[in-house]
Amino acid sequence: MTTPALDIQNLTVYYGAIQALQGINITVYPGEVVTLIGANGAGKSTTLRAISRIVKARSGQIRYDGRDLTALRADEVVRAGIAHVPEGRRVLARLSVADNLFLGAYTRNDRAEIQHDLEEMFRRFPRLAERRAQLAGTLSGGEQQMLAIARALMSRPRLLLLDEPSLGLAPIIVREIFEIIRNLNSTGVTILLVEQNAQLALQNAHRGYVLEAGSITITGEAKALAGDERVKKAYLG
Amino acid sequence: MAEFITTYGFLIVSMVFAAMLALSLYLPLMTGQLSLASPGFYALGGYIAAVMSTKVFPPTPQGEIFPLVYLLIEMLVAAVASALLAVLIGIPALRLRGIYLALATIAFVEVVRVLSLNLEITGKAIGIFGIPQPFLNKFEYMWIAAPMLILSTWFVYRLERSRVGRAFAALREDELAATAMGVNPTYNKVLSFTMGAVLAGVVGAVSAHFLNTWNARQGTFDAAILYLAFVIIGGSRTYLGPVLGGLLLTALPEVLRALAGVEFLPAFVAQFLVDGRLIIYGLLIALATIFFPQGLITPTMLKRLARRGT
Ligand SMILES: Nc1ncnc2c1ncn2[C@@H]1O[C@H](COP(=O)(O)OP(=O)(O)O)[C@@H](O)[C@H]1O
Ligand SMILES: [Mg+2]
Repeated sequence: MTTPALDIQNLTVYYGAIQALQGINITVYPGEVVTLIGANGAGKSTTLRAISRIVKARSGQIRYDGRDLTALRADEVVRAGIAHVPEGRRVLARLSVADNLFLGAYTRNDRAEIQHDLEEMFRRFPRLAERRAQLAGTLSGGEQQMLAIARALMSRPRLLLLDEPSLGLAPIIVREIFEIIRNLNSTGVTILLVEQNAQLALQNAHRGYVLEAGSITITGEAKALAGDERVKKAYLG
Repeated sequence: MAEFITTYGFLIVSMVFAAMLALSLYLPLMTGQLSLASPGFYALGGYIAAVMSTKVFPPTPQGEIFPLVYLLIEMLVAAVASALLAVLIGIPALRLRGIYLALATIAFVEVVRVLSLNLEITGKAIGIFGIPQPFLNKFEYMWIAAPMLILSTWFVYRLERSRVGRAFAALREDELAATAMGVNPTYNKVLSFTMGAVLAGVVGAVSAHFLNTWNARQGTFDAAILYLAFVIIGGSRTYLGPVLGGLLLTALPEVLRALAGVEFLPAFVAQFLVDGRLIIYGLLIALATIFFPQGLITPTMLKRLARRGT
C-alpha cells in the first residue's frame, strides 16, 4: 500500500484533568474518504482539533506527509495543506460572504490566484455568488455549511477535516452537501469526515473508525462496518 | 474669529485628542480585546515628552518657541517606548479574556500612576511643570493635532479593509474559527494592542505640551472609562464610531454650558445645565446604550450611505 497521508499514533488529549482521547490510532491514505463515527462526547471533534492544532496533544504523534504536526502551530498546519471545517460551521456572522472566503485564504500570499479561486468558489457554489456582499450571518444553515466548506477550500487543502457537516440541516440539504463532498473527493481531496449520522457517513466513505469514550473500538471498510452487528445496534438504529 | 479661537481653541484641540484616545481603545477591540490600558500609555508618552523637553533638550531661549522638531522627536520616542512596553505586557496579558483582561489593564494603568507618584524623574506627586510651548496659543496645536487625527483615522480605515483587518475581525467574531483558518491569535492580538498603545503614547506626548504640566492625575482609570464611553456611544464596530464619539462627547459639556446662557431660560434650568452637566452626561450615555445599543454609527449605516452616494 502507499504511504498514508495522515497517520495518527497513540494520540491522547486532555482538557484539564479530563482525558478526551485515550491513545487513538487513525490512518488516512491519499484520495480516501475516511469517516470517524461515534456518540456525542466520544471525542470526534477533539480528534480534528488535535490535528489542526487548536488543542494540544498530551502525547502521541500526528504525521502528515512525513511531518509531525504536533510540533507545528495552527497556521503552519493550514499551510501544510490541511483545512478544518469546524462543527457548527462557525462562519463569521458579521463579515460578508466574500470576506469569509478571503479569510479562508489567509495563509496564502498569491493575490491574483486568491481572486481566481474566489471566482471559482462562486462558480461552484452559485448560491454564495448571489450573496457575496451579504453578511454571512444572514445565510440559511445549508448556505452557511457551503460557505464553511468553500472557505476551507480557499486554503487549497489536500486534506479536508469535516466536522458534522449534516448537523441541523434538512435531509434535502444534507444530500446536497454530501454530493459536494463526493465531488471534492473525486477531484483528489482526501477527506476525514466526522459524523453522528453513521449511516450517511458510511455510505459516503471508503473506510471508517468507531470512537467510543475516547478510544477506537471498531475499524474497517465502510461497507463492512455498515454490516457489523455492533455498529448496527449502537449507531444505525 | 479671534474671540472664538481664544474661547474654544482649548476645547477643539481636546476634542481631537479625545477622538484619537477613543481610537486607541478601539484598536485592541478590533481583535475582541477589551483593554483599558490606553491611559497608562498616554501617561507614559506625556512623561517622556515632559522629561525630554524640560531636562534633555537645551532650554528654549526667552521669547522663542519650543522647536517643533524636538516635539516630533519626543513623539517618536513615546511611540517606540509605548510599542516596546505594549509587546512586553501584551504577550502575557492577552492570554486573559473579557473582564479579566480589562482588570489586568486597569492594574497596569494603576502601576503607572503609582510609579509616577513615587519616582524622582516624574516629579513625584507634584509632577513636571513648565513644559515648553511649541505654539503661540492653544488653538495652534491643531497644526499637529489635526494631521494626527486625519492620519490615524485614515490608518484605521485602511486597516479595516486590509488582510490584517480581516484577521482582526475574524478573531473578534470567533477565535476558534479564526485559528482554524490559520490566523495566529497571539500575534494579531498583540499587534492590535500595540497599535492602540502607540497612538495613546503619541497623543500623551503632545498633550503634555498642550496642558503645560504633567502629573499622576493624567491618564487614570476613570479616563479609560471615558474613552470606553466614547467608543460604545459612538459605535464599536467601525473606525468612525470612536472618532465621532470622542469629538461629540468631549464637546457636550461645553454645548450644555452654552445652552445655559440662552436668554429667557428659567434660572433653575440654566443652573442645572451648568451644574448638572455630569448628570446629563451620564443620562445620555444610559439613553444611548438603550436606544443605540450598537452605538450611533454602525457599519450597516455606513454601507447604506455609501450606496446612496454612488
Ligand atoms: N473545551 C472543552 N473543555 C473541556 N472539556 C471538553 C471541551 N471540549 C470537549 N470536552 C470534553 O471532551 C470530550 C470529547 O468531546 P468532543 O470531542 O467534542 O466530542 P464529540 O465531538 O465526539 O461530540 C467530552 O467529554 C467533552 O465534554
Ligand atoms: Mg463534536
